[in-house]
Amino acid sequence: MKNVATPAALILAAFAYFVPSVAGGAPVIYAACTSIAILAVMAYGADLILSYLGEVSLGHTIFWAAGGYAASLLAVNAGWNGWQTAGAAIVVSLVLAAALGLATLRTREFVFSLVTYAAAVVAMEIAFNWPFLGGSDGVVGVPPLELTIFGKGITGAGDAALWPVAWALLMLTLLFIQRFRQSRLGTSALMVQMNPDLAQALGVDARAVRFLVFVASAPISALAGWLYAYQRAYVGSDMFESYFLVLMLTAIVIVGRRLLLGPLIGTALIIVQQTFFSIGGDGDKIVLGTVLAAILLLWPRGLVGIWTVMVRHRMI
Amino acid sequence: MNLVQQLINGLVLGSGYALIAIGWTVLLGAARLVNFAHGQLYMLGAFLAWAAMSQLGVNYFVAVPIAVLVLGLLGILLQGMMLRLVMQQNLTSLMIVTLGFGYLFQGGAARIFGGNPERFISPLQSAEIRFGDIWFTWQDVLTLLCTLLLFGLLWLVLNRTRLGALVRSVAEDPKLAQLFGINAALVYVGVFVFECAAVALGAGLVAPRSPILTSIGFDEVILTFVVVVLGGIGSVGGSLLAGFGLGLFTALFGALVSPAYTTAAAFALLLGVLVARPHGLGARR
Repeated sequence: MKNVATPAALILAAFAYFVPSVAGGAPVIYAACTSIAILAVMAYGADLILSYLGEVSLGHTIFWAAGGYAASLLAVNAGWNGWQTAGAAIVVSLVLAAALGLATLRTREFVFSLVTYAAAVVAMEIAFNWPFLGGSDGVVGVPPLELTIFGKGITGAGDAALWPVAWALLMLTLLFIQRFRQSRLGTSALMVQMNPDLAQALGVDARAVRFLVFVASAPISALAGWLYAYQRAYVGSDMFESYFLVLMLTAIVIVGRRLLLGPLIGTALIIVQQTFFSIGGDGDKIVLGTVLAAILLLWPRGLVGIWTVMVRHRMI
Repeated sequence: MNLVQQLINGLVLGSGYALIAIGWTVLLGAARLVNFAHGQLYMLGAFLAWAAMSQLGVNYFVAVPIAVLVLGLLGILLQGMMLRLVMQQNLTSLMIVTLGFGYLFQGGAARIFGGNPERFISPLQSAEIRFGDIWFTWQDVLTLLCTLLLFGLLWLVLNRTRLGALVRSVAEDPKLAQLFGINAALVYVGVFVFECAAVALGAGLVAPRSPILTSIGFDEVILTFVVVVLGGIGSVGGSLLAGFGLGLFTALFGALVSPAYTTAAAFALLLGVLVARPHGLGARR
C-alpha cells in the first residue's frame, strides 16, 4: 500500500498544478485556484488544533493577519523580498502563538475558545487603531512578490503569476500535515484528545503537547496570510473578519475532521460556490453559516459520515 | 475629568454589561453551553425592536417586549435543533454550530434590514437629568432598574423555587437529575430561551445609546465573556458585581487612558485573572 501511496500522491500533486490551465486558464479560474490554495493553507493551521487537539481555536485569524501584516509592512516600508518577508511572517506568528499558547496553557474547552476569540477581537481593535499597522486604512501598495534564487524564480503579481507559489505552499503544507500525523507529536496530540488518562499514564505531558501543536500551527496560517497580502496587494484589519474564521471551521468540518485532504476539498467547495454560484455577499454568508451549522447538527462527521452511513445501509 | 460623572458612567455601562451577560451566565452555569451567536442575538434584538417601531409603528415600550418574545421563540427553535448535541454534551461541535448560527444571522439581518446604520430611538434617551455639570438620562435609570430587578428575580427563582432547584440539579449532574425523573432536555430549552430573551431585553435597553448596524455584536460578546468569567461561571450575584466592576473600569480607562482600546484593556484584565486563577474558572470537571 505504502509503495503505491507515494507515487500516487506525487501524480496527484503534479496534476493539481495543471488544474487552472486545464480548466481553461481564464483569469477567474486562476483567481479561484490561487484563492483556494491560500485559504486552504490558512484552514490547515486551524485544522491542526481542531482535528488533532480537539479544541476550537478561534484565534487563528491572528496568525493569518500577522503573516499578511508582516509581509506588507516589510515589503512596503523596508523593501524586503519574498523570502525575507516569509521568514518574518513565520517568526512573528511563532512569537504571537507562544504568547497566546502560554496564556491559554491551562484553559480547556470553551474557556480556551473564548480566550482565543477574545484575543482575535482585541488584535483586530489594535490593528484598526494603531497607526504603525496602518490603522483603519490598512497597508496599501504591496509590491509584486519577489521570490528568486540566484536571479531565477518568480517576480509576480496577479493570480496567474502567484499560482505556482500558492500551489507549492499548499503542497508543502500537505506534506507537513502528513508528516505531523505520523510524528510523535501528532500521535501524542490525538492520545491527549481521545484518552487523556492513558496519555498521562504513558508519560505524555499534555500541556507541552498542546503548547507545541498550537505553536506549530501558527506559521501555517501565517504563510497563507503572507501570500494573501501579495495576492490582494493590500492588507487591512478585515483579515480579522469572522468570514475567515467561519471559512476555516467550515472547510475543516464539511468533509470530515482528521482527513488529510479534508480542509482542501472543503475550501474548494466553498470558494467554488462563492466564485461561480454566488448569491451576493450577504447571501453567501447565509449559505456558509447554514452549511456550518447544518453539517454539525445533521452529520457531525461531515460528508464522509454520510458516505459511511450509506455504505452501512447498503445504499451504495 | 469629573470623577463623579465617570463613576455614574461606569454604573450605567456596568448595568448594561450585566444585563447583556445574564443570559449567558445562566446558560453556561446550567448547560455548560457557550453561545457564540450571543452578539448576533443582541444585534437581532435591537433590529427587531427597531423594525417593530419603524414598520409596525408601535412605540418603544411595546417594541422591546415584541423583540424579547420573538427572540424567545427563536431560542426554542435553535435549542430544538441543537438538543441532540446538547444531550451528548458535544461541546466542541456546539460551539462551532453557534458560530455558524451567528454568521447566518449576520448575513440574514443584512439582507432583511439593509447595511445602513439605523437609529433605534428610545424616548427616554433624550430625557436628561442634570445636577450641576453631572448628567445622565432616564434611559440609564430604566436600564439600571431593569437590571437590578431581573437579577433579583433570577436569584429568587434559582434559589427559592422548585423551578430553580430543577435548573440547579441539571447543572450539577444532568444524568443523575434524569434518573430522578427530571426532564433535562426541557430545562436546557428553558435556559436557552431565557438567554435569548434576556439578551433581547439587554439590546432593547442598551442599543438606543448609539446607531445600530447589522455588524454589531462582537464587542458585546467579549465584554459578556469578561463579566461571566470574572463573576464566576454560573454565579448570578457574581456577574452583577463583575458587570458593575467592568463598567467602572472601562469608564475610568476610557477617560484616563484611551477610549479606543477599552475592549483590549478589558481583555488584558481577563487574561490577568485567567493566569492568576485558572482553576475554578474552567470546566467543572
